[in-house]
Amino acid sequence: MELIVALGLIVFKVALLIAILLLLPLPLTWLERKIAGHIQQRMGPMRVGWHGLLQPVADGIKLLSKEDHIPAEADRFLFKLAPILALAPPFVVFVAIPFGETVSVLGAEITLYVSNMNVALLFVFAVIGLEVYGVIFGGWAANSKYAVLGSLRTCAQMISYEIPMGFAVIGVVMLAQSMSLLDIVRAQADVWNIVYQPVGFFVFFVAGLAEAQRIPFDLAEAEGDLGAGFHTEYSGIRFAFFMVSEYAIVLLVSVLVVILFFGGWNGVLVPLPPLLWFVLKVAFFIYLFIWFRFTFPRYRYDQLMAIGWKVLLPLSMANIIITGIVLF
Amino acid sequence: MSRAQERIGAWIGWAFFADLASALALTFGYMFSRSVTMQYPDKEKWLPYARYRGHHFLKRDQEGEIKCVACELCARICPCDCIEVIPYQDDKGNRRPAKFEIDMARCLFCGLCEDACPADAIALGQQYEFSSFSSRDLVIGRDNLLGKPGKAATGGGVVAARLNTEQDVLVETSEPHGYNWWRNIRQT
Repeated sequence: MELIVALGLIVFKVALLIAILLLLPLPLTWLERKIAGHIQQRMGPMRVGWHGLLQPVADGIKLLSKEDHIPAEADRFLFKLAPILALAPPFVVFVAIPFGETVSVLGAEITLYVSNMNVALLFVFAVIGLEVYGVIFGGWAANSKYAVLGSLRTCAQMISYEIPMGFAVIGVVMLAQSMSLLDIVRAQADVWNIVYQPVGFFVFFVAGLAEAQRIPFDLAEAEGDLGAGFHTEYSGIRFAFFMVSEYAIVLLVSVLVVILFFGGWNGVLVPLPPLLWFVLKVAFFIYLFIWFRFTFPRYRYDQLMAIGWKVLLPLSMANIIITGIVLF
Repeated sequence: MSRAQERIGAWIGWAFFADLASALALTFGYMFSRSVTMQYPDKEKWLPYARYRGHHFLKRDQEGEIKCVACELCARICPCDCIEVIPYQDDKGNRRPAKFEIDMARCLFCGLCEDACPADAIALGQQYEFSSFSSRDLVIGRDNLLGKPGKAATGGGVVAARLNTEQDVLVETSEPHGYNWWRNIRQT
């Protein structure tokens, strides 16, 4: 009986997580367009629902009802596989991510995470590394020059920014003496890691921007020169898959920044519920992503590589060495 | 401050992303500034200035008679040949237009007809919403032209308006004066 309850709970949590991740792009696209509009002194969507609130739903219906077009020269199998390969890793990653300690529902203590892995951080980086396959396959299978160029850029960018990203969190792991995200957050109960690891945070955040392919590192889908990058040839629901995965990665990077450097659900000064603190912090970082997008221009390809290899990598290594010396 | 100090200050600023921070501050300020969007035709509508050249209209004199003397000068000067006037003699013995047609589909709104008119009978008014599904409907006759709105008296503002799609697509407004649209433009 207990086993069934426990299993049911896990299934419920996973279902809830999937539902949240699938539905979150709707408010996020609305928010992005609204913020874009107001930064550019426009209003953004206004006509569907109150202040355009139903605009993402209308867009979703439009995408669903559009022709699912596969180019004649495309590799049909890879073309169909790519969106799913791009969509799955961000969803899988959230299994390892804690959103809080426990909440009590009807007297029972329910943990706010699906699993507490002792190598959660490693799992996150391993799975998010698979994301690049969806991009490679999507760009290659479409048999279009823009898509291939976009996917080449994306691959180079993702692979070269995963290295400083991985190095940047080593300082955090050293401080917490654990790779479990739960332990990392618990270690920050008094002082957040941002105090000890400002350089680590900087490297991680910049690499996260590149990983999520957001401006100023959105070379992969540079609208001006590549159409839409690796998903140029995609339409309808397959295109929506890529969009959902993009927003899931934005959410993931925000969540990771909060967990690793900003104390997770630990609050300061104001005693709010831990989950609310967590959501507020994540919302702030998502806003930061959108704010950056409509402020900065795009880096050139060589600048992108130079920042990754000549700035972020040495910085993250120096961060590891200094953290090690101080801890020793 | 010496030049060396200035340069060092610039380098320190560069290292701590002073330029990026100022850009972010600027966009943040813009985000909370007023939007310049005119919500036409949902909520607002632009009232043109008095000098605006919109749809033509024909004027009447004090007795309510049409001012036009059907001299056909407007038809002569029209660069796109879109005015057609046929005169007749009314019961008072005056020369008046029996037919006065303007093909709005061909008109380029240069206002030369207004300048040429010796009787001050034709002018270009404030109306700018007269799109149609058929170019045939854009040939406007004499009686229709007499009923068109004249020059804007105040103009140059945004008024509250409402889109009416019940019979025809119309943007209705009851306000005579609008607010100055330029007040929303951020001056930096």
